[in-house]
Amino acid sequence: MNKLLLAGLSAAFLAVSASGLTAQTKLSRNEIINSLQGAQQKVDLTADELQQAALENIQKYPGANAPNTLPLADKLASLRQFNVEITFDFDSARIRPESFETVGLIADALHTPYLQGQTFFIVGHTDAKGAREYNLELSLKRAQAVREALVTTFRVPGEYLFAVGLGEEQLRDPANPDAAVNRRVQLINLGYR
Amino acid sequence: MRRLIFAFTTGLMLITAPATFAQTVGYADAIKILAASCGKDIESYCKSATLANNGITQCLEKNQSKLSAKCNADRLVVISLIQARLAAQAEAPKLCQRDAAQYCKGVKAGAGHVLRCLLKAQPSVSEKCNTAIDLAGYR
Repeated sequence: MNKLLLAGLSAAFLAVSASGLTAQTKLSRNEIINSLQGAQQKVDLTADELQQAALENIQKYPGANAPNTLPLADKLASLRQFNVEITFDFDSARIRPESFETVGLIADALHTPYLQGQTFFIVGHTDAKGAREYNLELSLKRAQAVREALVTTFRVPGEYLFAVGLGEEQLRDPANPDAAVNRRVQLINLGYR
Repeated sequence: MRRLIFAFTTGLMLITAPATFAQTVGYADAIKILAASCGKDIESYCKSATLANNGITQCLEKNQSKLSAKCNADRLVVISLIQARLAAQAEAPKLCQRDAAQYCKGVKAGAGHVLRCLLKAQPSVSEKCNTAIDLAGYR
């Protein structure tokens, strides 16, 4: 039970840059733009396919932790992307007020001509604590909450934003599956569609 | 704190001053005011409301009689700030159309290429377009 509750704690306050450095400096709009812009390749992947791949990874390879990374991991890794930490209420998809600013920064970036008109996946990730199915579900709800906030409060056009939850199926630091660095919201640029 | 006051007065300006003198702030700076001024009220009265579907905005409005004076004032400022920035960003391409045609001929549309060109050509670009770029937060 304790383990399950801990899974809800997909929250931390550090903003982490795309280069993998732990950024003590304040997250900025331009940092997000620079990491996301310049999508070159055309990617043939839908949010549904990615979500399905994560579910199949659990069904095919059951167990407490994912034995291997997603088959699509390499494909995803080659795309323009950025990781942010957004704080949610415990065991919930409610974004906490201290993270409103971070969501606003994403809106600031997506509303610039550098990124307008391109398609983005908003991908939720948890650490490896707790059940994998549970983490998949929670991360999807959280990704959807970020998408909804962007589309409603900040009026980012919804047709370009797709929410995906990968739970613990694609850890950022597989050597330390419970590390905070694994809990993140990842923005991935899928380019012009 | 100074920033907060600045943003607040900006909000007032938006309401009282003609649009040409208005300034705008980014979405992050706007929503930061909400978190700072209404954070406590949100946790007291809007514990289950979310940013999604304008839940926080609607909850604060519903509970306005209980909110702190500061939150009540700033929640409206935040809405107007977001609207002002949205409007400025919708206007910018129109207001810069002529400059883009003149100084950025042959520049491929999309991915910010035209904006990059206009920023580079700033000294030649019309005041109207330069102001529009400023208000959109695109500089």
